[in-house]
Amino acid sequence: MKSYDVAVIGGGLLGCFAARNLCRRKLHIALLEAREDVCTGISRANTAIIYPGYDHKPGTLKAELCVRANARFDALCRELDVSFSRCGSLRVSFGEKADAVLRKKYENGLLLGVPGLRLLSGEDAQRMEPSLAESISSALYAPTAGTVNPWELGIAACENAAANGAALFLSTRVLGIRRTEQGYQIETDRGHFSCRAVVNCAGLQADRVQELLFPSPVHIAPDAADYLILDKATGNKPSHIIQYEPEDGGKGFNAVPTVEGSLLLGPSERENETDFAVSAAGLSFVRERAGQVLPGLDLNDTIRSFAAVRPNPQRPDGSSIGSFVIEHPGLAFWSLIGIKTPGLTCADELGRYLADKLAAELGAEENPAFDPCRPGIRRARELPLSQRAALVRENPEYGEIVCHCEEVTKAEIRETIRRGAVSVDGVKRRVGAGMGRCQGSRCERTVMELLAEELGVPVTAVRKDGPGSEILEGGHGKN
Amino acid sequence: MEKTELLIIGAGAAGISAASAAWDAGCRDIILTDRLPYPGGVLPQCLHEGFGLAAYGSELTGPAYAARLAERLAQTGVRFLPGREVLAVTKEKTAVLSGSGGIEEIRFERLILATGSRERTVGSLALAGTRPAGVFTAGQAQEMINLHHWQLGDRIVILGSGDLGMIMARRFTLEGKQVLAVLEQGESYGGIARNYHRCIEAYHIPIFYRRTIREIHGMPRITGVTVENLESGERELLCCDTLITAVGLVPERELIRGLEGKPWLSLAGNCSRVHDLADSAAAEGTKVGSLVAGQLLK
Repeated sequence: MKSYDVAVIGGGLLGCFAARNLCRRKLHIALLEAREDVCTGISRANTAIIYPGYDHKPGTLKAELCVRANARFDALCRELDVSFSRCGSLRVSFGEKADAVLRKKYENGLLLGVPGLRLLSGEDAQRMEPSLAESISSALYAPTAGTVNPWELGIAACENAAANGAALFLSTRVLGIRRTEQGYQIETDRGHFSCRAVVNCAGLQADRVQELLFPSPVHIAPDAADYLILDKATGNKPSHIIQYEPEDGGKGFNAVPTVEGSLLLGPSERENETDFAVSAAGLSFVRERAGQVLPGLDLNDTIRSFAAVRPNPQRPDGSSIGSFVIEHPGLAFWSLIGIKTPGLTCADELGRYLADKLAAELGAEENPAFDPCRPGIRRARELPLSQRAALVRENPEYGEIVCHCEEVTKAEIRETIRRGAVSVDGVKRRVGAGMGRCQGSRCERTVMELLAEELGVPVTAVRKDGPGSEILEGGHGKN
Repeated sequence: MEKTELLIIGAGAAGISAASAAWDAGCRDIILTDRLPYPGGVLPQCLHEGFGLAAYGSELTGPAYAARLAERLAQTGVRFLPGREVLAVTKEKTAVLSGSGGIEEIRFERLILATGSRERTVGSLALAGTRPAGVFTAGQAQEMINLHHWQLGDRIVILGSGDLGMIMARRFTLEGKQVLAVLEQGESYGGIARNYHRCIEAYHIPIFYRRTIREIHGMPRITGVTVENLESGERELLCCDTLITAVGLVPERELIRGLEGKPWLSLAGNCSRVHDLADSAAAEGTKVGSLVAGQLLK
């Protein structure tokens, strides 16, 4: 039986950041993930916004963490060597009711100390962002809003935790939890883990994981949402994050100029759907909203659509809970249940919060050896030509472009596999190969060959993402 | 920095023809570059016959046609730089190349872009449903099967009846796979008649017109598609383990974004407009190559 101080259940964004922050203390950490790679559940699809924090009720943990997280985001991304674009956001309205909502949010933001907020007339907003529809009536400008690649961020946190000694157990599904004299014993499909403390970041399963030992007063009612991505070369792309404040109190909508240069549009919302299947109605909604807010967009430049699932926390009577739910049902047992927006923004702060609470309970000291920095994957395309040439002399595979759309080299793809990518999508999440306009149709074959070579498996065993997703299926057992 | 009078990007039918024609017209300082390690572009993966009727008066396979082009190229003094990706073309008439041999900058007087086309993908269709394994573009499938002998799946649905869709329907059939349906939204097949007769008709492959796919099913591997009859609106589930999309080609012009219309820039082949036949792309390459050489020699 393996023995640790803390077992973190769930290797999504929250679990990875919990593990990272627990490493700030002298604690032995195990991170348990049911799938074969991290950030493949809720974290794999997201609006990618780093929120300025004006939305939340003063005095709540959400408000406190979001404003603080935003202020620290440049530093966090420097530590983790992750791209961050502080492009600012414009929340736009098309009528009096929504104008009033923006004013309220503005005042709320001032109370919370959100820096730089400005209420703009429709004309001023249009001057600032000419791609906006002429009919907008007002806008709330938040210069501190930004965007990251959520995969890059979560995987970076995981790598940083591992570099600081956290042990990562993939394809390890938690089946049961018992109390022991020392704390807890976790039963998994890969053996038992004994630990003094449990941090439950199991995403859509977080309520059920808590129920393995304690009752959960909160239940997760998942909902799905659809997104579209437009090619980076599309015209009339906004330079700010655009958020639509609905006049009728209905669904909002975002347009996010991503760090990769593409434009993310969405979400649509649907209730009580847990699969990652895209809905036609959802896509129609996204298209309609996009046309209304950013009329110059050419939706024929769509390169991909996808669905996200979000964990809505509910009370037993079915009413929704607006705040972050942090459960503490037993000594040294913490659960994050139903952390949605702004979960991405607050992931590191939530991890820090939990680590502080647990450190107090366990009496854990600071870990002076903790290194907050994680070197990112060296990207040839980001280097000046002279340095790039030097890199190719050092390793010729930095000269071989595999993904033509995103300019990813063979050396970079090998590096993702050395860092833990085990599937075509795992490579994509780490270095963007296959994320561009041809959606991997030109690089997938080479990526598959590199995976086979590095993992020492036949190419027929190479997966898209997870068990059962083998890309080549023909003739198995027949020839 | 290296200098050349004429740089040609892309060594497919159009690029090789342009380079050879420019040489024949008297230009003696030509660089031809390609991202692949060999000349011919997409031709070596086109194992089927049907190439060269116009140019050579006989029906060749893609590799044989590519070999003829390569032979012609070898008779010239064109410098061929294979295995290089052009990263950028600047308005100062410089191209930046990347390959395992290093980063090269080439300054040119004239540029012929012959970068061919890329396939539209299923992503651009924004279909409802899952995003499983087992979905390929026709050209991607063609490369995997013909150049790498990979087996993609056993029960195949093909969306789109352009030439590539019909040719791959036959190719899967010859591989012993079951092509359940070729689905075409139009009222007739999209490619040329010769391919319809030789690929679809001759192999009795089921083709359905006025049909499209509305939804993809299955996770982690595709298990089927919802097919809509565009006349009646009726939908039905068609079970399969592989979906091949042949939904059109897009001229590949990303390198010259913002440089369109520059007097030193010419386009030849599928990056200019999508041609039905390699012969026609090659003929355009020949024409553009001679023309540009003539202007350079003035």
